Amino acid sequence: MLLKCVQLLCVTAIIVAVYFPTRHARHYDYIAIENALKEVVLQSPFSSRRDLKSCTYEDVILNSQPVPMDNITGQQDFIPPLPGGEFKPFDCIPLIKTALVIPYRNRIEQLNIFVNYMHQFLQRQNIHYRIIVVEQNDTLPFNRAKMLNFGAKLAMDLNYSCLILHDVDLIPLATGNLYGCLSKPRHMSSSLDTFRYNLPYLTLFGGAIAILSDQFKDVNGMSNSFYGWGGEDDDFYQRLKIHHLLPCRFDPNLSKYTMLVHRKQPKNSNRFKNLKNSLENSYDGLKTLSRKYSVFSEDLFTRIVSS
Amino acid sequence: MSDEERDLCCCEYYDLTNNRNHILACLCNCTDLDEAVDSFLKGQTIAEENKTRFQNTMRDRLRIPWIGGARQVAFDSVLPLMILPLMLLTASLSLWWTVFSFSTVGMFLLLIFNFFIKTIPRTKFFFVWTITSIILLYFIFEFVVIPFLKILIEENVILSVLIFAFIMCLYLTKSRADQLTSLSESESDLILNGKNIEGFYSCKICDHRIPDKDHHCVWFDCCITNHNQCSFLLSLIFAILALLYSSNLTLTSVCHPFEFAKSILLPDDCSEVYYQFELGLSFVSAIYSILVAILLWLVLMQQIMLVSLGIPLRDWNKLSFTSKLCLGLNTNRPHNKGIINNWSKILCQTSPKYTVLHRDV
Repeated sequence: MLLKCVQLLCVTAIIVAVYFPTRHARHYDYIAIENALKEVVLQSPFSSRRDLKSCTYEDVILNSQPVPMDNITGQQDFIPPLPGGEFKPFDCIPLIKTALVIPYRNRIEQLNIFVNYMHQFLQRQNIHYRIIVVEQNDTLPFNRAKMLNFGAKLAMDLNYSCLILHDVDLIPLATGNLYGCLSKPRHMSSSLDTFRYNLPYLTLFGGAIAILSDQFKDVNGMSNSFYGWGGEDDDFYQRLKIHHLLPCRFDPNLSKYTMLVHRKQPKNSNRFKNLKNSLENSYDGLKTLSRKYSVFSEDLFTRIVSS
Repeated sequence: MSDEERDLCCCEYYDLTNNRNHILACLCNCTDLDEAVDSFLKGQTIAEENKTRFQNTMRDRLRIPWIGGARQVAFDSVLPLMILPLMLLTASLSLWWTVFSFSTVGMFLLLIFNFFIKTIPRTKFFFVWTITSIILLYFIFEFVVIPFLKILIEENVILSVLIFAFIMCLYLTKSRADQLTSLSESESDLILNGKNIEGFYSCKICDHRIPDKDHHCVWFDCCITNHNQCSFLLSLIFAILALLYSSNLTLTSVCHPFEFAKSILLPDDCSEVYYQFELGLSFVSAIYSILVAILLWLVLMQQIMLVSLGIPLRDWNKLSFTSKLCLGLNTNRPHNKGIINNWSKILCQTSPKYTVLHRDV
């Protein structure tokens, strides 16, 4: 009898261990396509031209089309943007003003593909946007979070109300994935092809995220101390959690992304250590950001070079 | 308490001279080896009895710890336990190592197959190979591929159900085959009389007379007859499904996937799998799964064809090349009762009906 109980317990323990939910990719709560537009924060129309109507975004979301993979690297049709990679729709007054912040180093082919694709992609969404590329110009390991802080700071100085912090190797595959902010921070790349279009864990908040500038300021941006790959997004998630800004996600069909192929970077072995200290380090962020950076205006984007 | 009365611990055993011995002492007290080396150094020939005694001692000392005393294991049975992990580990180094180790092991199997069948017909080598493959592939999937966090829980459950179905069918196949062997034992007086009972065929590997034998499957270590052919075919189907499904899950996790026809994920770029050990190991296990699945599919197709034609595999192997080309249609097929009857015989006839029938003989 006792032996049978022990056997039963062992079998149950093994089954629980093998099928434990956190060992697998997760299903997640999301905002359905029909409700997506209600959640988007729109600003009041402001324009010197009285004859124009406000832009509408209903069609963009509801008539979402999947993008064929072949179209990503090919020639893209778009209207040349203003210097610095800024664009405003001509035929209506945009209600969304987004700054796309791209941390970058040493991936020129990917940057070309990305920038060309994104101009074409964003111009069809009737939004006012600017692409800001932040380049790290030193020999230290890549510090993604610090670069994002630089970009966000510039965007806020230029009065952009919505920030989209975006990796250079992520390409959105649904035209209805509106590049605007919701009242809560949004994890945009929740259905990524290299993750088999699944979400690895519920607190993942990296890749492409949308957050209101005010909220980014409130949480003091991201930590500047994560050098190398990984950790900074989980730290950022903790900061948002403390400020009760838990992220949300759109329908997986709207959140499809593909990752451009690249060599994997060496992982930051301190990333868990830094993460543990994250609560004590909440002062480290936008407030402690150095002022050593220069801004250049290029044809297709604004370039920030930092050190 | 005297030494003899005490129970054996898990590492102890009674050796050839009926003395208590311990596994850790396996390299001690090698009189025969000592004598052989001694005579070798002196330039004398090594006595034949020395050699055989040394082999016997070696066989006796190859044991694994077990409750109630260490158990003896045959060398050929533990061979797959070494070959398979070694093959997968070396294969995960680089593409060339993959090609090299898979082809080496393939050649080795081809060579050793006939050798084992002839010299040690009752070897467990192939059955242990099957079991080791199942366990290894399952462990790699559960503890290397799943932690990549790319597979949903329901996908894992579906795979487990397929594997469970396969193992149940395998168990059913084997237990039905065991029933038949015990049946032929009870009928042994009839067989010993020298009467050639119709429907019974002797199997050299099982060392039994088996009713309605189709062939002996070394990988399942049992005879396949009309009575367990149904579960054999089912186990093949489940094995193929499980292998293909697990390899698809693995490959789409470690490689770059794409959506085929907007629903099925397939891998398209596996160029980076050898940069990281876990990725490489998962990748080669998936390749191994696919190779095994292809072989099993060929076996399944052959079985389906032969059942439809009404030719048992033991007869098919005796056919000439030209009649094989004609699918055996030009030969006499005594067991053929039409395609529908052939299949219904296999699907319905699950328990042998010989005991009653032969009591009248």
